[in-house]
Amino acid sequence: MSAANRGYVLRRLFFLVPMLVGLSIVVFALIHLAPGDPALALVSEQSADPTIVAQVRENLGLNEPLPVQYAIWAAKVARLDFGTAYTFNRKPVIDLIGERVAATLVLQALSLGLALALALPIGIVAAKRYRSGFDQSTTAGSFLGLALPDFWVALLLQLLFAVSLGWLPASTSGSDATGLDRARYAVMPVVVLAFPTAAVLVRYVRSSMLEVINQDYIAMARAKGLADRAVTYRHALKNAILPMVTVIGTQTARLLSGSVVVEYVFSWPGLGSLAYESILRRDYPVILALTLLTGAFVLFLNVLVDALYAMLDPRIAFD
Amino acid sequence: MQATQAALAQTRPRLERAAPKPESQARMVWGRFRRNRLAMVGAVGVALLAAVAIAAPLLTPHDYAAFNRGQPLKPPSADYWFGTDRQTRDVFSRVVVGSRVSLAVGLASMALVMLIGCVLGSLAGFLGGHVDNALMRVTDIVLAIPQLFLLIAAAALFTPSLETTMIVIGLTSWMGTARLVRGEFLRLRAQDFVLAAQALGASSGRIMARHLLPNTLGIIIVQATLWLSYAILVESSLSFLGLGAQPPTPSWGGMLADGRVDMQIAWWETVFPGLAIFGTVFAFNLVGDGLRDAFDPRQRKR
Repeated sequence: MSAANRGYVLRRLFFLVPMLVGLSIVVFALIHLAPGDPALALVSEQSADPTIVAQVRENLGLNEPLPVQYAIWAAKVARLDFGTAYTFNRKPVIDLIGERVAATLVLQALSLGLALALALPIGIVAAKRYRSGFDQSTTAGSFLGLALPDFWVALLLQLLFAVSLGWLPASTSGSDATGLDRARYAVMPVVVLAFPTAAVLVRYVRSSMLEVINQDYIAMARAKGLADRAVTYRHALKNAILPMVTVIGTQTARLLSGSVVVEYVFSWPGLGSLAYESILRRDYPVILALTLLTGAFVLFLNVLVDALYAMLDPRIAFD
Repeated sequence: MQATQAALAQTRPRLERAAPKPESQARMVWGRFRRNRLAMVGAVGVALLAAVAIAAPLLTPHDYAAFNRGQPLKPPSADYWFGTDRQTRDVFSRVVVGSRVSLAVGLASMALVMLIGCVLGSLAGFLGGHVDNALMRVTDIVLAIPQLFLLIAAAALFTPSLETTMIVIGLTSWMGTARLVRGEFLRLRAQDFVLAAQALGASSGRIMARHLLPNTLGIIIVQATLWLSYAILVESSLSFLGLGAQPPTPSWGGMLADGRVDMQIAWWETVFPGLAIFGTVFAFNLVGDGLRDAFDPRQRKR
């Protein structure tokens, strides 16, 4: 990485701080712009006694002016203290998230891996056989993939493989499952999440490959008699695949969104289903912590992806 | 004097013939769009959907909310084309009426997204400097939050209903449009015709409204179409999770949630509403893509 690019990455890292502060303000505003009283939401399950509500308001610091409330809240959040959940046995929010984060990361990694494993070869072949039947059906397929609602695909797969054929379990049974069983549980959620991602990626791989294939150095490599395989995989692919790094960055945010629905349908014990459960219970601390942390994760990831891009491609010069 | 006028009158028709009226952009776009077979398939699909939504009360063989005594979870038949649900209601009628919900939410939230996105994007793109910087940083931040987390957080804070769904989708999805319009404004602002208008003393408001916005219209229309299909997908996800339209409003996402409960017995409850969502989104995507090619054939993807 050149010195200029190293400076760029450092600057990006530095700018993460105001971005994270901004993110926390957005999330904080979300709580306080909404109609309704969080104290009332917390109490209503037990009783709506006004004295109790007033006491809860006092305890939660809801009587302070907004900037003060924000300062108190932000100071805690900076130490990853999101308070205790209203429900879930009043566990600390960060513990709840800690228990679930691994399941979501596994799901994300597997689906991204599967999506890439599908998109790369298909996209390359489609670009090599530009305008062939294969190419056209790839484009049609990715169009279909983008229009399919993920939760519907999830339901259809359950209907086919769990209900009709009985090959795969419909949803997770819990943590007591052993190796092979766990893998069987993962098949459908991974496929459902990977499918639309592959549909997006395949279009990028194809157009990026097409752009590279027509350049002079590829013609040169062919002219000097290199085998087709060497030209495609050594010369073209290396350059075509670089822009994919940034695409993968943006796809992760999409995958995280998809995980809410998919984890819910397949009862996958990750952050997505935690988000869903906490909404059913109106558990605001959990919802807000999840919103904040996933947002922060994506912000970090964006910087990481740009840094990686600068590292992989020495021609990239950021100003 | 009279002679000159007569001479002018004679030359006029010839001049008009020499310089034929240029084709309007709308005509050119329509011409290109019409030749795109896939886009026309999409357009027919969209027209069909609109017709179904408008004529819904005429097309439903049963009342979509009525209970049909003794007919719970009946498979498709001549009487109930898509079968019945657990509460004995006719699935076909509910799918037909559901098109109204999807289109209404899609159109309303699209209008909101386009409004917010265009206003913020054009301000950022035109004013530049600190305003641009501030607006774009806010856009980056909101964009970083995975949309469904943002959506359900917002949806959870309001009482779920059709109206809040429209507003919540609108308020959480303007970022892409804002970026797009900003980029286009930045590009156009440096071009000669804008500089010329500025030199002639046109006000900022006039330049934005008369010169920049009309040139951005094509991109906005394409974005709006593609966005409509996305909004329909998002609405159905939210309704599926129980955070969108509430019963008895028949939304496709909500019907799929019912279908999930009865999956062991009633496949028709899962298959038909899902097909409706898929077909709708697919049709709008085809139209949006066709419009993109029609508005700017040079940028046509290979």
